[in-house]
Amino acid sequence: MRIVEKLRVLHVDVGGCEGCSVSIMRAYPRLMERIDLDISYLRNGDPKHDRYDVALITGGVCMNEPRIAEELREVREKAGVIVAFGSCSALGGILRFCRGGQTPRPDHRNFQPINSVIYVDYSIPGCPPTPQMLQSFFRYFMEGKETRLRLFRVTAGVKKLSGFDLIDDVVLTGLCVGCGACELSCPTCAIKLVDKRPTLIPERCIRCGTCYVRCPRASQILLGGVKK
Amino acid sequence: MTLPGENLLGQIRGVYLSRATDGDILRRKVASGGAVTAMLLYALEKNLVDGVVAAKRTRGLAGEPVVARTREELLETAGNSWNIVPFEEMIKARIEEEGLKRVAVVCLPCQAQLFGQMREFPLLEADLSCRVRYVVSLFCRGIFVFGAFINHLQIRYGIRGEEITNVRLGEGHLIIQRGREELVIPLREVFPYLQTGCLICSDYTGVWSDVSAGSVEREPGWTLLITRNRRGEKLVRGAEREGYLELRDGFHVLEDVLRGAKNKLERARENMKRLL
Repeated sequence: MRIVEKLRVLHVDVGGCEGCSVSIMRAYPRLMERIDLDISYLRNGDPKHDRYDVALITGGVCMNEPRIAEELREVREKAGVIVAFGSCSALGGILRFCRGGQTPRPDHRNFQPINSVIYVDYSIPGCPPTPQMLQSFFRYFMEGKETRLRLFRVTAGVKKLSGFDLIDDVVLTGLCVGCGACELSCPTCAIKLVDKRPTLIPERCIRCGTCYVRCPRASQILLGGVKK
Repeated sequence: MTLPGENLLGQIRGVYLSRATDGDILRRKVASGGAVTAMLLYALEKNLVDGVVAAKRTRGLAGEPVVARTREELLETAGNSWNIVPFEEMIKARIEEEGLKRVAVVCLPCQAQLFGQMREFPLLEADLSCRVRYVVSLFCRGIFVFGAFINHLQIRYGIRGEEITNVRLGEGHLIIQRGREELVIPLREVFPYLQTGCLICSDYTGVWSDVSAGSVEREPGWTLLITRNRRGEKLVRGAEREGYLELRDGFHVLEDVLRGAKNKLERARENMKRLL
């Protein structure tokens, strides 16, 4: 019998609501056979190994807390592949709205996606992404099916995607075909199709970026490398 | 997700020319062989799905999304669609209200991308990934800006939208039927009325689907089916085994599809240079 080495995966949370961490935990039972997950919920103390194949990072980086950027740089050194899991980590997400003056840390004024600090290989938006998403990711990743993961690869090069970007890049430019993908993708119902075109309810958009990666035209803009 | 040019037709498992065996289906306004309707009828009657979500042409070129749960409802949707029907949100509502557990979706390549992605990469808890059993994509060269095209027909030919009884694609032209009358318009004349977004779309067949279906000019009266995975293959083969479909090999016309795909890609590249 061939012994297949499990993929060593580290989870690091740099500050978020734990929704993404819970999603990872929920995905784990079905991934156990193939990956060895090192997550704070399942250990006492520090990470178990010095090197990891993949690091899953959740949460956005507080730029007013230098130790977090430092911690991320250390993880980058330790891990072969960095995956930004969830909208905060990938695109800033709802943390983009932070402007300081809030308890318990009024001094925290600015959050960024992790690719503002380190190089990221894949970004998976979603608030939070589902456990099945992570299972699919690892399946394709371990099978080496890079084309299937290309959307997440290019998303890693982008710092901000939201309903606002969707309206700007697809609707106002006249590229929208009216398929309705964005409306169905929005977790907060911030998008409604009116006259076959999406209309954004701005105060509802949490800037998770799901609509953008799901839009057939916007994803094409992403894949074509036009979006920065 | 395939890159333009990287893999034009997507993953291919089987290519078939097929035709419905049911006379009822063939008598409807089917685009070619009625194979999509027959295949889904098989899925519905053999209880592989609880419902089929498709667009039904209502008046003229206008369409509305429906969930077909019976043979009669499904036959009503037979025929090609000339207008995009944004049915995603409606599907969600219907699936949730009616408690549909397994549905088949007939859609266009852009919509197949959503359903395909939703199934493979469910980003949201609310995604219907496990409920969408089959995704059938129709070949698509683009969708008209509905009002503008209808206006053009009315101004130039005096045909009102609601009078149109059928639309067919011929070699290099579009055939618009009004009762017994037929109007033949060159495609060159209708292309400017396509949606701008469709002009940069590079997916002709729907690479995210389980089965892609369309017609080729060389084989009138037959539907070309491209299966993309085991699920799609089983659906087509099952429909043949149960006598719903007549099948023959279709690899010899794949080059025609490839040509269509290349044309669409060329157009997309050309337009992307200007539009993006």
